[in-house]
Amino acid sequence: MANERLRALEEVEKEIAMILQCAGNIVLELSKDKHNASFLDRQLVQFQSSVNRVENELSSQIRYLTQVATGQPHEGSTYSARKDCQMALNRAEYAKVKLGELGRTCEVMLEQQQQQQQQQQRHEGREDS
Amino acid sequence: MATQRVLPQSKETLLQNYNKRLKDDIRSILDNFTEIIKTAKIEDETQVSRATQAEQDHYEMHVRAANIVRAGESLMKLVSDLKQFLILNDFPSVNDAISLQNQQLRSLQEECDKKLTSLRDEIAIDLYELEEEYYSSSYSQWDSTDLPLCEAYRQRDSWASPGSSCSSTQGDREDVDGPPSQETNPQHHLNGHGTASIEKP
Repeated sequence: MANERLRALEEVEKEIAMILQCAGNIVLELSKDKHNASFLDRQLVQFQSSVNRVENELSSQIRYLTQVATGQPHEGSTYSARKDCQMALNRAEYAKVKLGELGRTCEVMLEQQQQQQQQQQRHEGREDS
Repeated sequence: MATQRVLPQSKETLLQNYNKRLKDDIRSILDNFTEIIKTAKIEDETQVSRATQAEQDHYEMHVRAANIVRAGESLMKLVSDLKQFLILNDFPSVNDAISLQNQQLRSLQEECDKKLTSLRDEIAIDLYELEEEYYSSSYSQWDSTDLPLCEAYRQRDSWASPGSSCSSTQGDREDVDGPPSQETNPQHHLNGHGTASIEKP
C-alpha cells in the first residue's frame, strides 16, 4: 500500500516534467513560420490533461494525509524479529563452522591412518627381504 | 499537554500549506503559459516602435518562462515533501510494511531452525550408530557413569517398557569391556563422546 502511493507520486513527477515539455514544444512550434496545427492541438491536450492529473492526484494525496496523519511519531519496529533472525543465522553459521572442523579432523585422522599403514607395509616388506 | 496541542495544529498547518503551494504553482503555470501565448500574438498597432515592443515581449516571455520553470520545480519539491510526509506519517502503510517485514524475518528464522533441527536429528542418528560400533569394540575406554548416547537411549527405552532385553545387552557390554571401575559419583549423564579414561584392573 505504501509503495503504491509512493509510485503514484513518482508518476506525478513524470507528469510535471511532461507539463514543462509540452509547454516548451508549443512555444517552439509557435516560433516557426508555419505551424503544424494538429501537433499544436495534441500538445495542448496533453498539457491540459497532465495539469489536471497532477492537480487531482496531489489533492487526493493531501486529503488522504489529512485523514490519516496524527502528528505523533510511529513507534513500531522490526528490531526483535530482525535480532531473532540474525541469531538463527549465527546458529547456522556456527554449526557450519563446527561441522567443517569435524570434517577436517576426520580427514587428518584418515591421513594419519593411511600413513601408518604404509609404514607398516614398508616395514614388513623390509623384513621379508 | 501543551506540546500535544501544538502538534496537531502544526500538522494541519503543514497540510494547508501543501494545498496552498499546489494551488499557487498550478495557477502560476497556467497563467504564465496563457500570457506567453497571448504575447505571441502579432499586433499591428503598437504604442511604441516595433523593435521596442519586440524587445519588451521577448523579455516578458523570458520572465514568464522562468516563472513556469520555477513553479514546476516548486511542484517537484512539494512532491518530495509529500513523499517524506507519507513515509513518516502514513501509519496504515507503515504498519503493513512492519508486519510484512516481521513475517518475512520470522519465516526465515523458522526455516533456519527447522533445517538445523533436522541436521541435528541426522547427526544424532549417525552418532548413535558410531557410538554403538565404538563402544562394542575393544578400543573403547569408558566408565559406567559416562553413558554413550546409544546406551542412554537403550536405558530410556527399557524404562519406558520394562521387560525388554536391554539389561542383558548392558551386561554383555560390561563383559566385553571388563568390569567398570568404582566411581564416586553415581550420577549417570549423557556423554556423547565417552572420553573419560578409567582405571582398568
